[in-house]
Amino acid sequence: MSIIVADEPRVGPVPPEPAPLKTNYLNARSGILSWLLTVDHKRIGILYLVSLTAFFVVGGLAAGLVRINLLSPTGAIMTEDQYNRMFTAHGVVMLFLFLIPSIPAVFGNFFVPMMIGAKDLAFPKLNLASWYVYMIGAGFMVWSVLAGGIDTGWTLYPPYSSRYSQSNVFPGAFGAFITGFSSIMTGLNIMVTVHKMRCPGMTWGRLPLFIWAMYATSFIQLLGTPVVAITLTLLCVERLAGIGIFDPAIGGDPVLYQHLFWFYSHPAVYIMIVPGMGVISETITCFSRKNIFGYKAVAWSSVGIAVVGFLVWAHHMFVAGISYYSAILFSFLTMLVAVPSAIKVFNWTATLYRGSITFQAPMLFTLAFLVLFTVGGVTGLFLATLGTDIHLHDTYFVVAHFHFVMVGGMVLAYLAALHYWWPKMTGRMYSDFWSRASATIIFVGFFFTFVPQFVLGYHGMPRRYPNYPAEFQVYNVLSTAGASILGFGYLLPGFYLTLSLFFGDKATANPWSATGLEWQTPSPPSTFNFDRTPVVVCGPYEYAIGVDQLGRGLPEPPGPGSADDPASHHGPTGPAGPMHKETHVVG
Amino acid sequence: MHTEHKVDDPPTMHDVDSPGAMFLVFLVVLGLAVANILLATTGLGKLALPVQLGIASVQAVLVAYYWMHMRRGDQVVTLSALSSLFFVFIFYVLVLSDVLTRWRIAM
Repeated sequence: MSIIVADEPRVGPVPPEPAPLKTNYLNARSGILSWLLTVDHKRIGILYLVSLTAFFVVGGLAAGLVRINLLSPTGAIMTEDQYNRMFTAHGVVMLFLFLIPSIPAVFGNFFVPMMIGAKDLAFPKLNLASWYVYMIGAGFMVWSVLAGGIDTGWTLYPPYSSRYSQSNVFPGAFGAFITGFSSIMTGLNIMVTVHKMRCPGMTWGRLPLFIWAMYATSFIQLLGTPVVAITLTLLCVERLAGIGIFDPAIGGDPVLYQHLFWFYSHPAVYIMIVPGMGVISETITCFSRKNIFGYKAVAWSSVGIAVVGFLVWAHHMFVAGISYYSAILFSFLTMLVAVPSAIKVFNWTATLYRGSITFQAPMLFTLAFLVLFTVGGVTGLFLATLGTDIHLHDTYFVVAHFHFVMVGGMVLAYLAALHYWWPKMTGRMYSDFWSRASATIIFVGFFFTFVPQFVLGYHGMPRRYPNYPAEFQVYNVLSTAGASILGFGYLLPGFYLTLSLFFGDKATANPWSATGLEWQTPSPPSTFNFDRTPVVVCGPYEYAIGVDQLGRGLPEPPGPGSADDPASHHGPTGPAGPMHKETHVVG
Repeated sequence: MHTEHKVDDPPTMHDVDSPGAMFLVFLVVLGLAVANILLATTGLGKLALPVQLGIASVQAVLVAYYWMHMRRGDQVVTLSALSSLFFVFIFYVLVLSDVLTRWRIAM
């Protein structure tokens, strides 16, 4: 069954607004045990959201202290040893407890079943188990921090970490080992769900691009995470039993650790960013009222990134003593991964072309993502180039590069997702003004924080050093000032989103006039999502003709709603307007 | 009356391995682990690496075949498992591209 599109685009009948549910997933059961023992994918998503937010605050505080210390060339507030432990805490908490689980665990859990028309994930109990495993692993890491921290950097390079460090390496490494299993469980669950539980009509060619991204991410999680698990086990074996694996003094090879570690940890970068790319495909179509440009290219580029991402790891090791020939090979392979990433960026930009763009908070975060991720990606090519990397390796240039990708890319995509789906998750609308203000402040603060770091790195300031020459101070002060703006921008959503729970307007079922199946349920949804199994009749982004995936008309998008409003159905470029957009129905 | 069991049908008791069989496989895997540890102390010389990797491979095959139910898996499951071997192959090739050429002097 497929939707029939005549020569002229048309607007389907708009379904009536569903009555708010008396019983939804939030109030179906009450009490703390109803949360701790839930197998509802949406509630587990909320459990992850609360946990991740807490760890994001902890990791952010550590970053703030690092930046404050760097205000002075000799270290403003910490000893050198304390500084080592602080930046390690920032890295470990942000990577293992926030960035890696973030979108898959929160929005993947919550929205993958809803977007494919399913009642739940394939293994609901495994889903709950994944949260508990994550919390147990996080407990070990908190133990390592409270007991004095780790001073090795988040990469835990031996032989320092395995033989000589006097800090709490074991609980930290063991915690990372345990949280890895949580990642595997989530990946397995999502992969099986996408394969087995799509509703009728939801073919692979009609899957929302967020689902394609989550599927590609699951592939990396399943294949890569076991490798780092066994690597950390070997590290602990060497540390606890003195068996020579990585320490050359007892017969080991430290470069072997780096091969094993980065074989997971570089693809882990794509575990972090690919789900964010999926979010961007959802928001950029919704807020430009257009079908995605190049659906298949964007979908397959997610898979391409997942596959090629496994072939590039040794660019982290160009100055670690790997062979010259191998370095050339990995330099070339690293360049290759830019191709699918660039395909996405070009297709998103083409999607914006002649779009009816509106600037709600999710779209502001999305546009900020586009700019910052592109800068992060292009500077990645500098580092992929063998000769340039030898100059820039282990400098602040690298720090700035990966923060442009991880914070400018991933965290902003996370915030875009949070603002886009918040009305569906909570049933409440947040402050339009303050959310736009937050997005703007974060964007400005981000630039102030990390652009000076490119300059610092280019001029040779190494990363992880607490001291620096006096001529670098102006850039460090600029960067710390930017970090304070950035921190303020991050605090704002904590306030207005929390306030929205109590004072926000009630959200309609489809407040953004979006096309996906998740918007065809009341806000907040019922425990089993859909009254009856939905039947999908068309692709995921038919904004130009104004129909959702069930073939029904879309409500008016937010905005003035007048004929001058380009996003309106009856606006100049709306589906019923005189200059309606050309489209090609996907699927 | 006996009817043919199809792959898509729900599992029956016939499809489930007995606890005794699974425990036996577990003991064999444990025994091979002990053998591997003991062999490490015997000084096999150049044979140590192939022999011990061979034992480890047998252990992995036993776990995959019995504990991961590969022997009852359909073709897609078998293909997925074999593709993971290909993935390991890629890892080995690229690591060896470093290890085997590390000591050559660049032209």
